[in-house]
Amino acid sequence: MSWISRAVGVFRSGRLNRDLDDEIRFHLEARIEEYTSEGLSFAEASARARREFGSPALVRDASRDIKLLPRLDAILRDVTFAIRLWRRNKLVVGAALVSLSLAIGACTAAFSLIDAVILRTLPVDDPSSLIYVALRAPDEPRDALSFNYPLFREMRAASARQVRLFAVSDQAKREAAFDDTAYAEKVYAQWVSGDAFAILNVKPALGRVLASTDDINPGQHPVAVLSYDFWRRRFGGNPAVLGRWVTIREKTLQIVGVAARGFTGVEPGIMTDVWAPTMMWDDRAIADPDTRWFRTWGRIQPGVADEQVRTVLQTIFTTFAREKVALRPEESQDRLNRLLNTRVHLRSAATGPSGLRQNFAVALWTLAAIAALVLLIAAMNVASLLVARAAARQREMALRAAIGAGRGRLIQQALIESGLLALASCVLGALLSIVVTPRLVSMISTSGTTVRLDVQPDWRVLAFLGAMAVFVTFVFGLAPALRASAASPADALRSGGGRHSTAVNSFRPLVASQIAFSFVVLFVGGLCLTSFVKLLRTDLGFDPDNLALVNITASTTGLSQEQTLPSWIALVERLDQTPGIDAASFSRWGLFSGSGRNKTVRIPGRPVDGYTPWYMPVSPRFLRAMRIPLVAGRDFEWRDVRPAVPTAVIVNESFASRYFPGESAIGKRFVRVDAGAALVDQEVIGVVKDAKYTDLREPAPPTVYEPYQPQNAAVLQVRTRLEMGALVATLRGEVPRAHAAFRLGDVTPQSTLVANHLVRDRALAVLSAFFSLVAGVLVMVGVYGLLSYSVVQRTREIGIRLALGAQSSQIVTLVLSGIGGVTLAGLVIGGVGAAFAGRFMTTLLFEAERAGIWSIAAPLLSLLAVCALAALVPARRAARIAPTTALTIE
Amino acid sequence: MARHEAFQGSLPLLVLKILARRGPLHGYGITARIHEATGAELRVEEGSLYPALHRMEEGGLIKAKWTITGNKRRARVYEITKHGRERLDLDEKRWVAVNAAVLRALKNA
Repeated sequence: MSWISRAVGVFRSGRLNRDLDDEIRFHLEARIEEYTSEGLSFAEASARARREFGSPALVRDASRDIKLLPRLDAILRDVTFAIRLWRRNKLVVGAALVSLSLAIGACTAAFSLIDAVILRTLPVDDPSSLIYVALRAPDEPRDALSFNYPLFREMRAASARQVRLFAVSDQAKREAAFDDTAYAEKVYAQWVSGDAFAILNVKPALGRVLASTDDINPGQHPVAVLSYDFWRRRFGGNPAVLGRWVTIREKTLQIVGVAARGFTGVEPGIMTDVWAPTMMWDDRAIADPDTRWFRTWGRIQPGVADEQVRTVLQTIFTTFAREKVALRPEESQDRLNRLLNTRVHLRSAATGPSGLRQNFAVALWTLAAIAALVLLIAAMNVASLLVARAAARQREMALRAAIGAGRGRLIQQALIESGLLALASCVLGALLSIVVTPRLVSMISTSGTTVRLDVQPDWRVLAFLGAMAVFVTFVFGLAPALRASAASPADALRSGGGRHSTAVNSFRPLVASQIAFSFVVLFVGGLCLTSFVKLLRTDLGFDPDNLALVNITASTTGLSQEQTLPSWIALVERLDQTPGIDAASFSRWGLFSGSGRNKTVRIPGRPVDGYTPWYMPVSPRFLRAMRIPLVAGRDFEWRDVRPAVPTAVIVNESFASRYFPGESAIGKRFVRVDAGAALVDQEVIGVVKDAKYTDLREPAPPTVYEPYQPQNAAVLQVRTRLEMGALVATLRGEVPRAHAAFRLGDVTPQSTLVANHLVRDRALAVLSAFFSLVAGVLVMVGVYGLLSYSVVQRTREIGIRLALGAQSSQIVTLVLSGIGGVTLAGLVIGGVGAAFAGRFMTTLLFEAERAGIWSIAAPLLSLLAVCALAALVPARRAARIAPTTALTIE
Repeated sequence: MARHEAFQGSLPLLVLKILARRGPLHGYGITARIHEATGAELRVEEGSLYPALHRMEEGGLIKAKWTITGNKRRARVYEITKHGRERLDLDEKRWVAVNAAVLRALKNA
C-alpha cells in the first residue's frame, strides 16, 4: 500500500511533508543545542543527535503512512464498492455512462467551435478600441462592409485625429509561386494598409512588418510579410526566408519579415499566411470608386467617443456620395436618396467582423442550444436512472446506516460514486469530442476557403461539463443516501412498497420533460434537414453535374487581347472537338464561384432606378455548356466577341420582364454605365431562361450575359463524361499547345462550387440529425428505465392479477397506461417549445415557413414510436410473469 | 545505551502519562521527560517516537497544534485528549496488574 500512499503523497506532499520535516528538524536542532551547551563541537553534536534519532526519511515515511493510509483506504473501499455495484447494474450504469459521455462529447465539440468562431477575441493589443466601419442603406437588413479606395483615402485623411483607419482586403485562397519551387501553391493572402501592423501593435518575429512607407504608390512596394505559423509550416522556421520572392496575383513580392507568433490575422477563425500592402492589390482598383474590395478597420484614438468618429466619417461619406451622384445626374432620385441616406456605423471589432461569423453565428448558436437540450436530456436520464437504482438500494442504505455508517460516510460514498461516473463520462466525452471536432471543422470548410480554425478541444468547456456531470450525479446519488441516513433504520428496513412508488413518481416528471426536450430537438433537426433537402432540390437554372470549371492564367503579363484572344478561341474550339467533351466555353469567372459584377443600365424611355442587374462575361457556347436554355434569339458567335467594344448581349427572362415588360426583348438596345461614367451601347440578341448566379436561396437575378475577351485569365466550362483524371490529362496537353504562356490552374467540378454554398446547411442538417438521434436514444433509455422499474416494483400486483385470470393483453395495457400520461404531457409541452423554436428558426432556414404539418407530425410520430419501442420489452416481460414467482417475492 | 524491546510497547502509555502530568509538550520535550524519569536505563531510538505520536494522534488519544517557541521556531505541541485520559487510566491499571503478575511469577516460579 505504501506506493499508493506515496502516489497520493505526491499530490498532498506539500503541507504534510513540510510539517513532518519541520517537526523532525525542530527535534534535531533542540538536541544539538543541548549537546553544544554541554561542550561538544557543533559537528560532534549534530553527528550524535542524528545517530540517536535514526533516519529522518524513514521516520517521515512511517508517519506519512500512518496519517494517509486510513483515509486512502476508505476511498479505495468506496471505489471498489462503487465498481462492484456497477457490475451488478451494468445496464443502468452503462446507459448513464453512454448518455453522459455522448452529451459531454457533443457539447464540448460544439462549444469549442463556437468559441473559436464567435467568442475568442483578436490576438492583438487592446481589441476594445478597435472598430470596423459598416454602411447601412435605409431598408437594408444587413451591413455593407466593402469599401472603395478613394472613399477610404478621404475618410482616413479627414478623421486622422479621431481614429486611425486601415484597410484589410477580403481574404481568399490565392495561387502563390515561391522562388524555391516551380509549382504554384495555395496560400491565404490579405492586402492591408501599411500601418495596419503598427495600429494593431503586431511586432515582427523576424525581419520587419509592413510600414506606412510600404503603402504610398500603386504597384511600387513589392514586399510581403508571412505569418509565423505559415513560416514554420512552409519554411521550417528558416530565417533565410527573408529576401525570397513570391508571386501572387501576377505581382512578385519580396518577403521582408515574419509577423509575431500568435497573430493569425484580423479575422478570428481564418488564418492568414501572407500579407501584402494594399498598393500591391491592383493599380486600377486603387483609383476606382466603383470597385469595393476591402473592409475599413480602425483604432479609435484615446479619449475620443465613438459618436465623434461616426460623425466625421458620416460627413465624408455623404459628401462623397453627393459628388458621386452629381456625376450621374440622369440617375433616379431613388438612388440618390438611398446613397445620401446611407448611415455610417462603427462596429466593435473586438471579435472581428468575420464573414464566417455572419454566416455561422446563428447556426452555431442553434447547435449550441440543441446541444444544451441534449445535455439536459442526458442529465435527466442519469437522474432517473440513479433515482430508480437508489430506490432499489434503499434497504442496503438503511442497513448500512443501521450498522453505524455515519451520514458522512454515506455522503462520501455517494460523492465518490458520482465522481467516478462523471470522470468516466468526461474521459469518454473528451475522446468523442477529439474525434468529432475536426470533422465539424471540415464540414463547415469549403473547397475555396478551407476554414482553418485553430480549434483545440476546449478544456474549460470540458471542465464545466464535467462539473455539471458531477453535480447531477451527486445530487441524485446523494438524495437517497441522505434519506436513508435520516430515516430510522427500523422503518427503512421494513419492506416499503410506499417508498418505491414515491421513487417512480419522482422520476415521472423527468421522463416527461425528457420527451418534451427531445420533441424540440427532433423538430429543429427535422426543419434543418428539410431545409437542406429543399436547397439540394432547388432549380439552379443550369446543370452543375458533369461540368468542370478549369482555371487558366496567361503567365506573361502585358499580353494584349489581340495577341491572346485567338489562342483562347482555339483552345475552346479544340476542346469542343475532343471526343468525350460535349461542350467547352470560357467566361470571366464561374457561376457560384463567389465572384460577380453589377452594373448600372440605362434603358431608353425608362427612368433609371436604383437596381443594378448582374453581368456575366462569357464566350459562345457558354449557355450550351451550362445547359441554360435559349428562349428566343440566338447564342453568341465568335464574331460577337471579336469587336473592340462588343455590343451583343443575351439577357435572362427576369431581365426581359423587368425592363421590357410585355414585349419581345430581342433587338432592344440599352446602355451600360461603367466606372467614370463611360457608356457602352448594348443590343439584345437572345433571351435565356433564368439561372442563379451566386445565391442559391434568392430567385435568379436579372442578368446580362455579354461577350468576354480574356486577357490574362479565364475560366473554362467543360461539359464532359470523362473522369477528372482523364480530363486533366487532356487539358495538360491542350492548354500549352493553345499558347505557350497559358498555365493550367485548378480544375473544380461546378457541383462542388454549388455544394460549397450548402456547407452551413449541410453542417446544420447533419449535426442536428445527429443530435436528434442522440436525443431519441436517450428518450428510449429513459422510458425503458421507467417501465422496467415499475414492472419490477409491481410484480406482486401483476402476479395476483394474472392468478385471478387477467389476460396478457390486459397486463400490457396496464403497464403501458403508466407511460401514456407521461408521454402525452411531454409531447404537449414539447409542442409548445417547438412552436417557439420554429419561429426563431425561420430566419435561419430556407423556406422554413413552408415546412407544413409534417414538421410537427414527424417528430411526434417518431417520438411515439420510440416510446412504444422502449415500452415493448418491459410490457412483454410483465405479461410473462408467472403468478407463482410473483407471489413468492419477498 | 540499552534498547529495550519491551519498553517500545509501553511507549504510548509513557507518553500519555507524561502529557497528563506535565501538560502540552513538543516531541523533544517528551523525549527529555522520558530521559529524566528513567535515567540512562530506558532509551528509545528517538526518531521512533514520532510515528508513535502520529499514530496516537490518528487514534484520537492526543491532539497536536503548531506553536512558535521562545526563539521563534515552529514547534508541534501535543496535548492529551479526554479519550487519551480514559485510555491512560485503563492501560495504567492493566500495566500495573500485568507487571505485578509477572513479578509474582518471576519470584515464585
